[in-house]
Parts: sequence; C-alpha cells; structure tokens
Amino acid sequence: MSRDGLDRRVAVLGFPGSNCEVETQRALLAAGVKADIVRWNESPDRLSHYGGFVLPGGFSYQDRVRAGALAAKETIVEAVTAGAEEGKPILGICNGCQILVEAGLVPGIREGDVEMALAPNHRPGGAGYYCRWVFLKHVASPGRCLLTRLLGQSEVLPIPIAHAEGRFVTSSNDLVATLRENDQVVLRYCDAHGRVSSSPDVNPNGSVDDIAGLCNPRGNVLALMPHPERAAWLRQVPEGMETLWATDRSGAAGRGQDLENEGPGRRLFEAFGWEQG
Amino acid sequence: MPAPTDVEQAVGLLLDLDLGFSPNEAMRLLKKLGRQPTLAEATLFSIMWSEHCSYKSSRSTLKALPTDGEHVVLGPGEDAGVVRIGEWGGRSWCLVMAHESHNHPSQIVPAEGAATGIGGIVRDVYCMGADVVGVMDALRFGNPDGERGVAAREIVTGVVDGIWQYGNALGVPNLGGDVAFDDSFNENCLVNVIALGLVAEDAVVRSRVPGEAAAEPYDVILVGKPTDSSGFGGATMASRALEDDEEVEQDRGAVQVPDPFLKRMLTLASARVLALAREREVPVGWKDLGAGGIACATSEMAAASGFGMQIDLALVPVAEGDLGPEVVVCSETQERYCWVVPRWFTPEVLKIYNDDFELPHIYHNARAAVIGKVTKSRRYQVDMEGERVCDMPVELITEPVREERNIAPWPAPPAQPQLPPMADLNVALTEVLASFDQCSREFVYRHYDTEVKGCAVVRSGEADAGVIAPLPGESLGLAFSVDGNPRYGRLDPYWAGALAVAEAMRNVAAVGATPWSLTDCLNYGSPEDPETFGAFAEGVRGISDAARRLWRKGSDREPVPIISGNVSFYNHSTSGKAVAPSPIVCCAGVLQDYSRCLTPRLKRAGSIIYLLGPRYGEMGGSEYMRILTGVWWAAVPQVRFEEERVRIHAAIELAGDGLLLSCHDISSGGMLVSAAEMMLANDPGQVLGMELEVGDLGAATRADLWLFCESPGFLMEVDCALAGEVEARLAGMGVRPERVGAVTHGDRLVVRHLGSAAIDLGYTDLKSGWSSAVAGAFVG
Repeated sequence: MSRDGLDRRVAVLGFPGSNCEVETQRALLAAGVKADIVRWNESPDRLSHYGGFVLPGGFSYQDRVRAGALAAKETIVEAVTAGAEEGKPILGICNGCQILVEAGLVPGIREGDVEMALAPNHRPGGAGYYCRWVFLKHVASPGRCLLTRLLGQSEVLPIPIAHAEGRFVTSSNDLVATLRENDQVVLRYCDAHGRVSSSPDVNPNGSVDDIAGLCNPRGNVLALMPHPERAAWLRQVPEGMETLWATDRSGAAGRGQDLENEGPGRRLFEAFGWEQG
Repeated sequence: MPAPTDVEQAVGLLLDLDLGFSPNEAMRLLKKLGRQPTLAEATLFSIMWSEHCSYKSSRSTLKALPTDGEHVVLGPGEDAGVVRIGEWGGRSWCLVMAHESHNHPSQIVPAEGAATGIGGIVRDVYCMGADVVGVMDALRFGNPDGERGVAAREIVTGVVDGIWQYGNALGVPNLGGDVAFDDSFNENCLVNVIALGLVAEDAVVRSRVPGEAAAEPYDVILVGKPTDSSGFGGATMASRALEDDEEVEQDRGAVQVPDPFLKRMLTLASARVLALAREREVPVGWKDLGAGGIACATSEMAAASGFGMQIDLALVPVAEGDLGPEVVVCSETQERYCWVVPRWFTPEVLKIYNDDFELPHIYHNARAAVIGKVTKSRRYQVDMEGERVCDMPVELITEPVREERNIAPWPAPPAQPQLPPMADLNVALTEVLASFDQCSREFVYRHYDTEVKGCAVVRSGEADAGVIAPLPGESLGLAFSVDGNPRYGRLDPYWAGALAVAEAMRNVAAVGATPWSLTDCLNYGSPEDPETFGAFAEGVRGISDAARRLWRKGSDREPVPIISGNVSFYNHSTSGKAVAPSPIVCCAGVLQDYSRCLTPRLKRAGSIIYLLGPRYGEMGGSEYMRILTGVWWAAVPQVRFEEERVRIHAAIELAGDGLLLSCHDISSGGMLVSAAEMMLANDPGQVLGMELEVGDLGAATRADLWLFCESPGFLMEVDCALAGEVEARLAGMGVRPERVGAVTHGDRLVVRHLGSAAIDLGYTDLKSGWSSAVAGAFVG
C-alpha cells in the first residue's frame, strides 16, 4: 500500500547524536534512490510506510550504556522491526549497525534476543577510536543478502572504518559456526588481494571471525561497521590505495566530472532501488 | 551599596575580591563607574579586561598585520574571519576561519581542556551562519624522554583523546594539524585549534543586534546547556601563569565541561532556525557564548550596533540552584548560544529547539529560553530577583583597554660550536626519521575521523595539506595546513613568524592550491617580561612581512590576508620558564579543480626528481644538528621572500596545468627527509625507490649539510616526457630547478656523492623507525 509514494522511498533515521544523515541521504540519491531524513521523534505511523530504512553512523545518545543500546529502545525502531519482518531492505551503518544488533534484528537467530555486541576495538597498543580505509571481501553466496546483491562473489571493496566499538563478539562460541552455516556473514576484513586475516593490519578491530558485516536469517537486514556512504564516489577513494579504484581516481586528474562517478560503496545503496514504473 | 568616601578603601575592597585586577585597573574601574561596583559588575570587568578577552597588551602590535583585501568580507574582530572564495553553482561562497588556543585548560585536564577547545572554536564558525567543514589541531608537548616525560606522555594521550571524542562525535572531520615536542612545553603544553566553515555570502550572520531593533521589539534568547558554575573564571585563568599544584587543583573548576552530543543537536536545531530566518527574511543576530558567558556575549551584541540590553537572570535555565548573579552572568558553561530575534519570531525559535529537537528531553534542563530584551537606552542592565546587579552604559564594558609593555631584544643564541665531522649518513637519516619531531603522526591522526561528511579528498598523512571537496558536484577544492616550528622560535622569533607563514603557504601550494587566507595564534610567555614581549612583537613582524611579500598569486601584490587569530600569553610556569616563542599559522588554499590536487607519493619509475630551492646550509634548529651534536646551532633558515614567492607561484601553476606527478615541501628535516617521505608515502604493496645525486653544494659547503639543512623548497616528480616543458616553464618564471635524481623500480633510497653511495637504505629500514618507534611511546 502506498502512502504519498513512501513505499518507494528510503527513510534515513536521525537519532539524537547521529551524524552521518546528510551524506547517507546524498549517497542514496546518487544511487537513484529517493530518501528522506526522518527524526527519531516524528510519527512512527508515517515511518512505517517507507519502503526501506538506513540507520546511519554517529554517536546516538552519546554511546551511553553501550553504543546503540539506547537508540534501540526508541519507539521508531518498532517500525524498523516491523519492516524487517515484512522483508524491507534495512541497512545499519556503524552506529546504525550497533543499533540493529542491540535491537536484536541482527543476527536475529533467536527472535528478539540480543545475541551479539559491538565491543571496544582490540588493537596492539590500545583501544580507542580508529579511522582508516580497509578492504572487505564479499563472502556470502550470490543473492544471500538483499543489500549486497549487486556485489560480485568474493569481490574486494576498499571502504573506510571509523569507530571505537566495532568488534563483533558473540554470546556463545557456537554462534559463529551457526552464522557461517546460515551464510549470514556477508563481508569480512581482508587485504588488498582479498586474503582474509585476523592480523591487525587487515582486521582493524579484532572482530570475531573478521566479520565486518552480518545479515539476518532472511537476508534483508545488513549490519555493517564500515561506511559505504564515505566510499560512494570515486573522489572519496584515497589515491594511494592498492586498488583499481585508486588507479581510476588518479587517472581522472583534470577530468573532475569523472570523480563524481561511482565509488566502491555505491552498489549497497543501489540495492534499495525498486523497479521503476 | 554606599560609596566609600576613601578611594584607597574602595580600591582595597575591589582587590580583596581577588579577581585579578591590578591596583591601576581597580582605580580605572572605580573612576569609570563613579561608584563601588557590585560583585557581578566587578566579575564582568575582570573578565573583559583580562588579557584573553581585551588584547590589552597585544592590540597595538597586531595593527601591523595585513587583515584586509579584495575578498575579505569580515576580518578580525568578530568570532571568526570570513573571506570570499568565488562563485560556485550560481552563488558566491565564503570560507570562515577561526583559530584559538586552549593551552592552560589542556595542561590542567588534558582531555576536557582539548575537547572544549574544539567545542569552542566550532561555535565561533557556526555562529557566522556557516557549516563547519573541518577542524585542525596544532599541538606542542613536553619532551617525552625528558625529566617530566611521564607527564608529557599523559598529556599527549589526554589531548588526543579529547580532540577525537569531541570532533568525531560532533561529526566534523579533522583535516590535519601538526605536532612538535620541546622541553619548553613540559609545564605548558600548547593546544591550538582551528575550525573551518563554508557559507554562502548572502547567508553570513552577524554577532550583533540588527538595526531593525530600533523599530520593533527584539527578544534575547539563550539556547543550549543549562548554566552552571563550570568554567567560571576561565578567561582570567588563561591570563596568568599556571600556579603550583594546589592552585592547579582549584583551576580544574575553571575548565569547562564538553558535550559534543548536545552540541550536535544544537547544531541541527540552529541550522533549522537559520534556514527559517532566511526563508522569511527575518533580521537576526547570533553569537556563541565563550569567555565571559552571558555578560560578554549580550553586551558585545548590543554595543556592536548601539543598543542596550535588559537581562533577567531569573529567566536563565540553570543546572543547579543557588548560583550567585556573578556566576550566572559570567560562567563559561559550554554549548550555549545567544539569539536576538524580533519578538514575533520568538515562538518559532523556541519551538524548534524545545519541541522539534526536544532539547529539554535529551539533556536535563537544556532549552531555549527568553532571558531579556533589546533596549534603545544603550545601557546594560541585569536583574536578579528584583535586584539590579548590573547597570552601566554598554560602551563602558566593550571600550578597549590598553597596557603598555616594554620591549627588550631576544637573547642571541650561544656562539656556534665547531662543525662536527660528517656523520654516517645512513645512521643519521634513520635516526632523524625516528625522532619525535620527524616520525609519522599516524599515532595521532588515526584517532580522528577524517571521513565524516564524505568530502575528504586528501587526508592527514597523505600530503602536506588536507584537501576537501566541500560542495558536492562542484570542482572547488579547499586545502589547509597549520605550521610553526618551536626550535626556530627559540633561536629567532622574527624568522619563526615568517617561516610559519611561508611553510603553511608552501604546504598548501604543494597540493596545488593557491594560498588564500591566513589565521595566526601567537603563543608566548608573560607580556610583562620585556624579552618575551619583544619576541612577540618580532613574531608579528615576521608574519606581517611574509604575508605581504608572499602575496596572493593572481593579485596585484595583495597580501594573503590574516582574517582571524588569537594571542595567548602567560604560557609560563611559576618557576619563570616560558614556552618557546610559538607563532602558529594556518593557511587556507583554493583549488579551482580539486581533481588536479597533488600528493608527495612517488608515482612512476623512471620519472625525474627536481629540487626547487637552493640549499643554504642553515643548520639552526635543524633536526640533524640536534641529533648529531645536541646543540641548537645558530642561524635558522631564512625566508628569501622573492625566491619563496616565485617558487610557490610556480608550484601552483605547474600543478594546475597537470605537469607534475607529485610534489613535496622541504622544511623540518631538510630535503633528504622530504625525499624519504615521498618513498614512505607508498603502501608496502606498491613501493618505488629513488636515486639521488648530491648537487651543487653552494653555500651548504658539505654533503650532509646540503642534504639536511632546512632551507625552504620543494621536491617535484616529473614525467620524463614533460621534463623539457617543466624546465622551460620554470625558467620563464625565474626558477632554476636542479635535476637531483630519478624514481626507480625496487625499494631503495640511494644517494650518491662524488661517485659513491653516501646513503643506501631499503624501504623497510626507513619505515620501521619512522612508523613505530615513537608511536610505541604513547600507547598502552
């Protein structure tokens, strides 16, 4: 049922403390997807008519208690949960990823249970916020996750991370095996050549099983720590990275319009696109 | 309060309040008011007349700086400077810059002190109506290996934490900065913060009561955090030396409490108010609350356009009960702004903050509240529960005060010792790269969010300046660098100022941008010490000369204007030890086409390396001499203004025409360190090598001095096929490039001198010390 055509639009949720709403909306628009920024205290009823949701990055409620824990209790998250059950595409980026996990939507094996958490980064020499471009490998089977359906199998993506609490941890050791069996591990940290590794040069936060992105069992909800909206244009790719994306970027010197072309993260937003017409 | 008949008694009463007045100032205040001030009034004047707020010692010296120009919309005077950068997408756009110190608070409580530095500087830019597109930080710390090394390391960690915790949460990218270590910062670290904003020229908001207030009623609205006693006395604290441990303990209360979460919400809500005011063409005034809190902000807004104010402190939302009127009116509680808007518009403003963005719900007692009104009386009147606690002509508060200071020459450095024999250059280079001042800054900038907002083009660690493309879809690029070398400051305060300007401009030009505007933060010891005040005056002269003589490319000899800045005195301890004279300069550059911007990373084997800038063998303050001899040496590098300007303009032109593969500035460490950095900028997977030949020694006289002297210049990588064109173009501009080497396959840096390899080091030899030795000192 369409209301104001909202079923063909994506709502980017702005919680108190979110800070990536604008560039996330911009990345969706660049991918041909209409999007609105919706504040946490706007009508949940209207929100429920949107065709998809993005929970953007930031520090909702100042990361009080645990990152994402308070925002996960907001009334509007109920509309997200309902959307997840209806099969709508839902992407949580960074703090949005933390919120989806705290809300029990990902991994979502036992319905409503919080089975994982995003713990403080583990790095040699200390914790704290860490911001760097890394590589991800698309490890899920083709079509397994709605949001990565446009990525090739085993494709390697350069993308930036920026977080203090990005280490996926599980409540039980069996869970990792279950996630693998279920093919819910969608994106893992890897090197420039696609080799997955737990070395701190490759896995920047010590995440279990080198997980960067996880989906729910149905595959329509993706919780992703790195930031695809910061890799949605070619101009955003660091020119010195060991990737063909960087070669393309350097090759565009003097042709500024080419730098407005697609970056490695754009297809995650294109995945929201509905058949037009 | 009955006026005491005895003047001495009146002065005594005022001094007994311990607000920092000198006897002369106490006399001046009594004379101005013609009566004994209330405690609130005395507190207000103690803040307004503090060095921090009044610039009483520095104002007349600062007049020498070039602050005006064709594109300057607003020079120093308001919260931030505004300069026009051209038409993009059919609108005239302006860059907004603010630059301040938060030195004392960061020494006392490093994380909170540095965080509130970022919090305060972004407000200065937001309140011009701009969006903040980035922040930067210039940090000066004590010697991590010195006698107070443990404390120095703790301060490094705390300051960096404070900066990331605030900036990242606010959602503002960090665009760069610099870090230096020196014994003179053991007891006084320097934390200089810079905020950069973008605003359409027709959307600039002024921090003043609009003239329309003469014709219709205007309300004064306070928004943000409820007022508390935090930060009470902050400006006064910043205007004297840090005391012994007991007093430092007391000073903690004078450091404000940061809250980036609330600031983020305030920023979103304020942007909504600004948009609505523009949409409906409502004339408004907006100002941030910093030093002096409500008193300073409201009186300055009124005085700026000849109005008065009536403030009722009972209407100010407070966090705790029983605050005296002097605290409510002068406390420096963070995360607050003040609006003056027409009364009919007030309900709209209150609704946006209090209902749409629910400030009172997300932060206890935060809100927008009407606290008074604009009057035509030109009087500044403050009431508290029916009692008038402030009542005077508003100009009395804002009229400038001045303090004459004596000047003495800076002591000459000790005589230069005998030149030591040439060191093993392999060892020397490895040691210089692993030194605190030359090593990789990754241990700092990896904590900063460089990506938020999605506009990053070149990040910290990638090049001499950070570059952003702030207007999506437009080719505009903005480049920023901040510089200042404390070792030069110690040896020669004039050249320290000139070199800071030249290096900041050179860094911006090295990425291909045209230096467009400058800010300065002048960090010194006590102005009451003639040598220190003399060093300050010399620093200002150096900055002024460089800004004028390195004029803006494309202009008719128009100085690169200094559009904002700050003076920080009293950076000394009670033992009398002052910081190295530290003029710190930020340069903003404009790129018409950001796709042309350059990095220093070696690009292509077979290409040619050119050196621009003769080596003069000036070893004063150089890393090489310090490591080799432990002595500071004497003659610091000079800025040869003609040479320097022509080189900077040449770099911009060659980069803009796509003739360079890479470009790197030569400064601290010298040309050899710059060459090594060009190699190290490549990831291990794509390493290239370099072969250099020691060129014409000239004034440098020795190979090691030629390689390590810090005379300004550039290294440029040029494709073989373009070498002829580049050489011809440079010759036409009056620059003589020296072909010093080539980029090679493989991973070695080889430097030949008189037929043999004086240096032969592999990528990993260079990288290990540079990337990890010092980082290890600050983690865990």
